Amino acid sequence: MGRPVRAETIVLGLCVALVAIAGLAPIAVMGFESVWHDGHFSLDHYRELISSARFWPLFGNSIQLALATTTVCGLIGVPAGILFAKSDLSLRSGFMWLLTVPLVLPPYFVALGWARVVARIGTIASDWLFGFGGCVLVLSSVFLPITMLLTFASILNVDRRLEEAARLVSGWPGVLRRVTLPLSAPGIVFSLVLVFLLAMGELSVPSFLRYPTLPVLSFTQFAASYNFGAATAAAVPLAAIAFVGVLVESAFLRDRDYTFRSTGQTLFISLRHWKSPLAALMAALCFALVILPLSALFADAFSPAAMHEAMQRAGASVVRSVMYSAVAATILMALGFLLGHFMRGGRQRVLSAFTLALFAIPGTVLSIGLVRLWNTPGTWFIYATPALLILGYTAQYCAVTTRLSLAGLMLIPTSLDEAGRLGGAMWARRLFRISIPLSTRTLVCSWLAAYILCLRDVPIALMTAPPGGDPLPARILTLMANGAPPMIASLCLIMAIASLIPLVILARVIPSRGITA
Amino acid sequence: MSYIDVDRVSKSFGERVAINELSLHIERSERLVLFGPSGCGKTTVLRLLAGLEVPEQGSIRIDGRLLASAGKNLVPPEKRDLGMVFQDLALWPHMTVQQNLMFGLNARRVPKREAHVRVREMLHRVGLEHRIDAKPHELSGGEQQRVALARALVTRPSILLMDEPLSSLDDERKRTIASDLLDLQSQLGFTLIYVTHDRTETDLLASRVCQMRDGRVA
Repeated sequence: MGRPVRAETIVLGLCVALVAIAGLAPIAVMGFESVWHDGHFSLDHYRELISSARFWPLFGNSIQLALATTTVCGLIGVPAGILFAKSDLSLRSGFMWLLTVPLVLPPYFVALGWARVVARIGTIASDWLFGFGGCVLVLSSVFLPITMLLTFASILNVDRRLEEAARLVSGWPGVLRRVTLPLSAPGIVFSLVLVFLLAMGELSVPSFLRYPTLPVLSFTQFAASYNFGAATAAAVPLAAIAFVGVLVESAFLRDRDYTFRSTGQTLFISLRHWKSPLAALMAALCFALVILPLSALFADAFSPAAMHEAMQRAGASVVRSVMYSAVAATILMALGFLLGHFMRGGRQRVLSAFTLALFAIPGTVLSIGLVRLWNTPGTWFIYATPALLILGYTAQYCAVTTRLSLAGLMLIPTSLDEAGRLGGAMWARRLFRISIPLSTRTLVCSWLAAYILCLRDVPIALMTAPPGGDPLPARILTLMANGAPPMIASLCLIMAIASLIPLVILARVIPSRGITA
Repeated sequence: MSYIDVDRVSKSFGERVAINELSLHIERSERLVLFGPSGCGKTTVLRLLAGLEVPEQGSIRIDGRLLASAGKNLVPPEKRDLGMVFQDLALWPHMTVQQNLMFGLNARRVPKREAHVRVREMLHRVGLEHRIDAKPHELSGGEQQRVALARALVTRPSILLMDEPLSSLDDERKRTIASDLLDLQSQLGFTLIYVTHDRTETDLLASRVCQMRDGRVA
């Protein structure tokens, strides 16, 4: 008699199958499509793409934009993360949450805000905004929270004993340079790789600010020319770069995956006479990157007429956005928790790298693959329904909920599960009676993060939503072409409120840092 | 006046009083063992001496120099000329044994050549010269203890604080390391303040025992 299949194996199989259907299959189909021409293998699409006059300049633009954005985010986000995690800076929580706001909104909101600002200044500012400089400014505002928050989290995670041991022989600059930052390096490097890949794959901002990049080309080939082969060929370099980025990050992390024995409270740096100047600098940064563009965007949003028109033209999209995001967040929370559970103790590394690559792959690339895979008469029940959109969200964001769940699960001593096992409890019972009850906060955080990410998503919403069923970010983008600015502003405000409510809840759920002198 | 004077020092963590008007006087080159049950405030005394905690009341002086007084640390930890071995050793996992030892010497701007000589010499003393390029996770428990001891002593501090560093070892290992520690102390002449709740360690190391209970000397 064969060995009985365990429930754990079946659930792992189902989770892997879901990730494969949502992410692996579309990418594989897309890769196949790009080398299959008129019924036989051909590299024609690539030849055309590479030999076309447009490809290399667009590729160069994408790389340049990603590098510049990563540099700005590194230069501002890392010091800001250190300050918020380790110093007695006044109003640090307020600054941190304020700087996080652009990340939870669709990226083009900040661009739209800046467009309103420069419209009041004049042509020179407008010329600057609609180009490389404007794209770097907007994408840096949007992705800065990634480096800031991951630096913050990594630094808080460093075992305070290691810093104390260093403090006995060195001042704070030496401790930060030789102990705190090297031990936080995996998180910081991960954040920079992520910013690079996200900036490289960003569609809505370069497209709105008229800066030609590879994702814009890929989207145009797909949406305007209906040339799937050319669109996939343009998308494959982006997917390849995402995979290389994940490999680089994994290679860097090898042997640097430190586990700390005691965490939770951090030593803090007293800024003394630097306290006020640094607080003023942070206030200026918050004003320039967040308050100025968003207040310009929302300035016209409050008129009753604009609000009425907004609800008339996009009220259904608001409901759909919230509904789709809530469903996807629930699936992502469950999938992420289960995958996190399986990945505990460094298991399933390939699966972990693959989900991360799916997160790093531009939404345009993933969407093209999804459409290509499911746009058949036999799979109409997926293609013509919100299921395709939900699959897209699942593939793109499962790495986030998986990593969040994993981080939460690592805090639960393995002995608790082992004690349950010795008591005779099977895997499912231990999961439901031990792991889940101890992870309530993790699950809430995971759901909220997934909800925010799905709600703010543009490319997947734009390319995979069923006909007449577009979510709000896609609807706003469509209406921007011919809608009145106050009505657009009202829609942006509604969208911002829908995104910020979970952020406020998240701020209350995530514990503040513990600090001791 | 003694070499180390702790005068009516108090320290609380929230509602919990860890140290309650504690006074302690320690002579140069003494081997004082702070002995007592868990939670009696032994570790807090070490952390206050090291400058890692701020006393709410009272004062701390070393060699006549006022280090902390009435809610303020006047001298930062790195300027107190002391070494510490933590309970969990706190070896920096991203550094080799050599880098762990070099850190303090570099921070004190000891010339490179001299620093290398001192690292070699200290590792020779603790019998770990051959493990100079190993990372902490590649060492056995006993070797990690020795590296932590070497790191604390390589800067030649005048005071060594030890926070139950041997608690996880068996009796035989404890005896070996305690004997090495006594040798080092007689060679280098530092003042040793050792925290433990273990009678064996106390018997092995103490020239004087200070029994603690509820944040006070009993």
